[in-house]
Amino acid sequence: SQVFAAEMGEYGVAPGQRVAIVWDSSSPVEALKDLVDKVQALVGADNRVSVENVNQLPQSAHKESSFDVILSGMVPGSRAQHSVELLAEVARILKPGGRVLLKEPVVTESGENGKIKTAAKLLTTLTLSGLVEVKELQKEVLTPEEAQSVGEHLGYQGNDLLIIQIEGRKPNFEVGSSSQLKLSFAKTPGPSGKPSVDPTAAKLWTLSANDMNDEGMDLLDSDELLDSEDLKKPDPSSLRAPSCKEMGKKKACKNCTCGLAEELEQEKKSSQPKSACGNCYLGDAFRCASCPYLGMPAFKPGEKILLQENQLHDA
Amino acid sequence: MQGPDAVVDPWLMALWDKILALYPLPPGLEIISPDVRLPPKYTLHYLPEDSPHPDSDLLQLAAPQAAPCELHPFSARVVSNQRVTAQSHFQDVRLIEFDIAGSGITFSAGDVVMIRPQNCPEDVQQFCQLLRLEPHRHFVLEPTEPGTPLPPLLPQPCTIQYLVTHYLDISCVPRRSFFELLAYFSTNELEREKLQEFSSAQGQEELYSYCNRPRRTTLEALWDFPHTTCAIPADYLLDLIPHIRPRAFSIASSMLAHPERMQILVAVVRYKTRLSKPRRGLCSTWLASLNPEQGDVRVPLWVKKGGMKFPADPATPVIMIGPGTGVAPFRAAIQERVALGHRGNCLFFGCRHKSKDFYCQTEWEELVTKGLLTLFTAFSRDQEEKVYVQHRIQENGRLVWELLSSGNAHVYLAGNAKEMPAAVAKALQLVLQLEGGLSPSEAEEHLTALERSQRFQSETWS
Repeated sequence: SQVFAAEMGEYGVAPGQRVAIVWDSSSPVEALKDLVDKVQALVGADNRVSVENVNQLPQSAHKESSFDVILSGMVPGSRAQHSVELLAEVARILKPGGRVLLKEPVVTESGENGKIKTAAKLLTTLTLSGLVEVKELQKEVLTPEEAQSVGEHLGYQGNDLLIIQIEGRKPNFEVGSSSQLKLSFAKTPGPSGKPSVDPTAAKLWTLSANDMNDEGMDLLDSDELLDSEDLKKPDPSSLRAPSCKEMGKKKACKNCTCGLAEELEQEKKSSQPKSACGNCYLGDAFRCASCPYLGMPAFKPGEKILLQENQLHDA
Repeated sequence: MQGPDAVVDPWLMALWDKILALYPLPPGLEIISPDVRLPPKYTLHYLPEDSPHPDSDLLQLAAPQAAPCELHPFSARVVSNQRVTAQSHFQDVRLIEFDIAGSGITFSAGDVVMIRPQNCPEDVQQFCQLLRLEPHRHFVLEPTEPGTPLPPLLPQPCTIQYLVTHYLDISCVPRRSFFELLAYFSTNELEREKLQEFSSAQGQEELYSYCNRPRRTTLEALWDFPHTTCAIPADYLLDLIPHIRPRAFSIASSMLAHPERMQILVAVVRYKTRLSKPRRGLCSTWLASLNPEQGDVRVPLWVKKGGMKFPADPATPVIMIGPGTGVAPFRAAIQERVALGHRGNCLFFGCRHKSKDFYCQTEWEELVTKGLLTLFTAFSRDQEEKVYVQHRIQENGRLVWELLSSGNAHVYLAGNAKEMPAAVAKALQLVLQLEGGLSPSEAEEHLTALERSQRFQSETWS
């Protein structure tokens, strides 16, 4: 909301927050410095703004859940592209409920250039990395010079490039964490030993004096109906319905409370960039059947080979 | 193991055993080990970079006095390339017109034009990069075995650019022999093992799943084996990759209506498999990309006689059933017959939406108004229930029967194979039964008789 934005300042950054700025070397250093200064001013002098090059982020191995906001590709001139692995790292180091705001060049028509994503593909990539509330904020059209420069950098000749701005959040629970359910009747009882009762409601249920005198009215002390067996506290395990997992459910319910959603989330995250075979980058011929990258070309084998080519002479 | 390999492989092994038993090798000769790489059919010799060369990228000109053919196609200028389906329609269908003045080409309705497509510049560039080939270099080929003729479709000398653009079919789905040969060049153990697996008898199912089912192209397969690919010797290129085959299109215009011109209807082939990049038809995509407004655009083509022959007698009516692009040869036939004054033209046309893929609508409606064409349309998705040409045939059974019985009409069917031809045949049989009073088996026999006497002709494609 607009009021929220005003309070939070530009980029949704508030004083006291820990922010990381991820940039790539396409942006001029001046522009990066400008952004850092701006954000530093918003968070205040006590909190240092972290700066990371997009290629260095995984190696830096920041402590998990340490940032409130991460800005990536937001420096003017950026051509950073966000892979699932990079975004998973972003999600890891964000605090639960933390926010990532990013920009990336996209194409409008899906197709042959595997290097540049469509907007839809980028949104999916964020979701696959574990981020939630993923949404597109705005699209920017490039000037012809910018479009040419970006196109050259990414090896793309089409004229449908745009810069898209997207935000996502880390889910508001840490895997493995638990929190007390706030159920009102679990509160500690008042002085009377019973929870307080709405007087008007109480009246409805109170027996009138006339009722008391009714011979036919048999008043039992309901507590006497319970014997020692009934009073025994039940074993929690006997109360558990067969868990969703035991019932063979592969998908968690929307408001999952049994922990299956977290388990599946964990599976998804851990199966993401790490594959069973470790051959994801090699191409379909070497990938295992469960590889998330099946159908995509091998990762940049051409570049690898071209590097070696410099050392070889044409026979 | 499944498929033909399950039979051929063991049979071949048993065959060689039998042959060797009957004709043992002379002493001193051994069977060449499968590890030994056989010599290539041709050796490729680069010409020095600075020597002068004729510009060999020109398409071969047609031999004089002879009609253009596969070895000497006619380089036809593209006059127009119009999309005839609505932008919102899922399929891009083009009406493309060629200028064939001075070519010596003649054709009649039912004839077919052969077009040899070429690879797109991006694929050519990627192939050259992967194999470390320099596109501008000129080369000549020499046969390894004396007496082997040189490939007729390659100019000599030739450039790498020409070879990869016009000759090597790098977008075809590679076959088992491709992987077998490729394994010989591998310098990487992981890749070599996989290549050998794909060429083994046991690996055929894997290969099918890797290549055939998803329709992986040769170029895409090479991308997956980078260490091997950059080590492919240029000599082996023609052994490794077959040459581009021409594609046939029914000619969709008549020389009587459009002299010195030839028109075709092309549906651009594009579909998805589990590969992230959509599959594209090489020829249809290339043709769709040609823009005559950007300059002189040429297509090498030649004509072949088609399977369908239309009656010479003006009194014989003609029933044409052509849904979708199947209508192409009928457009030619109708133009021809109208020009000759033959009036008995009955067309059953089917497509999905009247507003989206009813190509040639204006042309047909004009002819209907002039009384030169009886048109029945079936728009399969314009209403809740599917309506196809076979439904219209049944609905108009009386007319169809009249034309067949008293008119001695010829019936023609063209279009996509799969279910349509069978459904139409069924509908025709039903008409013969209901209107002609024939029993089901008599109706079937009658239809077969019509086929034998060339009164029922069909040309369907998959």
